[in-house]
Amino acid sequence: MRLLSPLSLSIKLSIVLSLIVAGVATTIGGAMVYRDRQLLRDELRGKALLLARSVAVTALEPLLRGDSWTLYKMLRQITQGPEGARERTLITAMILDPEGRVLAHLYPALFPIGLPLLADNSPERPRLQSELAMKDSGVLDGDGFIEGMAPVQISGKNLGLARVRLSTFELDKHTADAGASVLMLSVIMAMIGIILGTFWSNKTLRPLHMLARSMEEFGHGVVHLLPVSRGDEIGQLIVSFNRMANELEEKRKLAAELAANEKVIALGRIAAGVAHEVNNPLAGMLNCLSTLRVKANDPQLVSRYLPMIEMGLKKIDALVKDLLIELRVEDAREVADASCLEDVRDLIMAEIDPARIEFAWENRLEPSDSINRPRVQQILLNLLRNSIQAMPTGGRLWCRLWSDQDKLVFEIEDTGHGIRPEDLGRIFDPFFTSRPTGTGLGLWIVLRLVQSMHGNVDVNSVLGEGTQFRIQIPREPKLATRPA
Amino acid sequence: MIRTFTILAAILFLSVRGAEAAEEPVRFGLTAAVVRENLDLYERWAAYLGRKIGRPVQFVQRRTYREAMEMLETGEHDFSWICSFPYAKYRDSKVFGLMAVPVFEGEPLYRSYVIVHKDRSFRTIGDLEGRVFAYSDPDSNSGYIVPRQILSDFGRNPDSFFRHTFFTYSHTETIEAVAERVADGAAVDSYVWEYLNRREPKFTSKTKVIQRSETFGFPPLVYRTGVDAELRARMTEALLTMDKDPEGSALLAELMLDRFITAPSSLYNNVRLNLDRR
Repeated sequence: MRLLSPLSLSIKLSIVLSLIVAGVATTIGGAMVYRDRQLLRDELRGKALLLARSVAVTALEPLLRGDSWTLYKMLRQITQGPEGARERTLITAMILDPEGRVLAHLYPALFPIGLPLLADNSPERPRLQSELAMKDSGVLDGDGFIEGMAPVQISGKNLGLARVRLSTFELDKHTADAGASVLMLSVIMAMIGIILGTFWSNKTLRPLHMLARSMEEFGHGVVHLLPVSRGDEIGQLIVSFNRMANELEEKRKLAAELAANEKVIALGRIAAGVAHEVNNPLAGMLNCLSTLRVKANDPQLVSRYLPMIEMGLKKIDALVKDLLIELRVEDAREVADASCLEDVRDLIMAEIDPARIEFAWENRLEPSDSINRPRVQQILLNLLRNSIQAMPTGGRLWCRLWSDQDKLVFEIEDTGHGIRPEDLGRIFDPFFTSRPTGTGLGLWIVLRLVQSMHGNVDVNSVLGEGTQFRIQIPREPKLATRPA
Repeated sequence: MIRTFTILAAILFLSVRGAEAAEEPVRFGLTAAVVRENLDLYERWAAYLGRKIGRPVQFVQRRTYREAMEMLETGEHDFSWICSFPYAKYRDSKVFGLMAVPVFEGEPLYRSYVIVHKDRSFRTIGDLEGRVFAYSDPDSNSGYIVPRQILSDFGRNPDSFFRHTFFTYSHTETIEAVAERVADGAAVDSYVWEYLNRREPKFTSKTKVIQRSETFGFPPLVYRTGVDAELRARMTEALLTMDKDPEGSALLAELMLDRFITAPSSLYNNVRLNLDRR
């Protein structure tokens, strides 16, 4: 049944593949974003350095003149973007004197001219000290910023230090945005992959689905060959299945033919048996008749032979009747509820002498239990009559009927003479009988009817004590509609 | 060959004629005493004066007062609008003469304003000790001489009173320096501050005047001694009658001046006094 829903398999397959693809895409994208970030950071470092250097170069003249206003305007101009707006990446810019005092600062209100940038006890003071002594420009990578530093020099002497600090916020934001884009793209790719993959694998697995359904139907006897439309493994599978289905179908036909043959053989055997059974009394009767023809006027002979002829004819009559019953009942299929079996009880009650035989009828079948009336009635009648005949001197007879989850059970028990162990193997053979007047067809009919309903018969017999027959017939929900 | 020569000769002839036709403009020097930002106004004023005197007039901006004075001395400028201090300093040098004085708010006078950022709590220039102070020009009366004189009057040495001082060479930029808090305080020309405060208060609105000096003669318009007498007369006439015609009145209104008048050089005596006490 799991194969009937290949959706799960196709989804699983496409999810796994899509996730792998998305994972690879994320990794590659991540590497590219990282590289991009490094490049941008290098670019920003270059920019900070360039800005600091140009400030340092331009600052020399006004610095020598003590022109603080020009220094300030320079910082403002050099850090302005093309539209006059302040560069978004710029945090601050300043020019310090060799002692670390502010000569000009982009934020003069916070860092007034002439005052030290940092207090003497500031933890950053030693670093500033070494930066002030720098002879070459350099870049400081800080947390969230990049700072370009260039000394303002004249004849190798430091007059001041120009510092331009740029924010890495834009850079970080860019990286975060790019990362988010990569992730989003991967997720979208994965989703599209899953949808397309599911669609594709569904299409691919459809033949398997059909195959599974055909196998299921095949189990129910419906042979349904599949069209071969592809040359891949699935196509080969379908070809194999079709071949197997054909072979199995042939085998089934063969089995049916064999069964039909067996039926013919069995029929032949019956016919032979009938011929034999009829032949015996027939021979005796013919003997009687030829004797009577010779001595037609011998009344003594007539009174002796006529009953013999009558007996022979009765035997043949019984045989024919039983055979007719068998033929009539074998094809009968009339479905009724369990109450129809009460007819059997009434019939038997009428046939026995209550003074001799004690008859116990126990019908616990549910009203909903459906029953093939003619067959079951015939089975019960045959078994009950057998039991009655097994008790010529009287006894007890039980008939118990009940049902459980999946079968109907009929149990007939008597306290008759029982069956000889050596006969037990033959009691169901046609024409086997232990009674002189019996046809030997009763139990044979029972067995055939039980088998026609896919049931089985158990016999339990102790010689001199009694016999018990138990018949179990599986419930068949489709009893009414299916051929036996 | 001959044709080419003829064309060249014609071009040469025409260009010489053209140069003769275009008269040499009268150069009029301007300094930080006036508002330099409104170039368009000065162009229209120059055109107006040019029509009045019958010769083109060109205003020439000079960065420092000293530079403007040099130009006047060398004869490059025939007229100039200079500051009261250089006038008082050099009025006896016979290099230039007083031509006209602007009348600002009814008087030919102006003051020095001590300004600070509007959010600061300084109340007088005395509160600015140890602070950063912006001067406009070492030759500016209102932007240099006056604040130093005030400190001297209080017995303080203006050279060591402030932590740091610097020159901006423009009253407008001095105001900007205070507005941006590059300087804690500054002294500026009252006319410039009032003009900007009314016309373009972007920076003045961030400053406040905490001290007003006594009045001084308004920065005067002078002529070079050696200038053609008739040109000088025409220029003087043009300036003094500006308020008499609508175009001139409109220009004066834009300049936020009432009119131009003649005045005795004694108007600048108190400026001279500061110079002498220095």
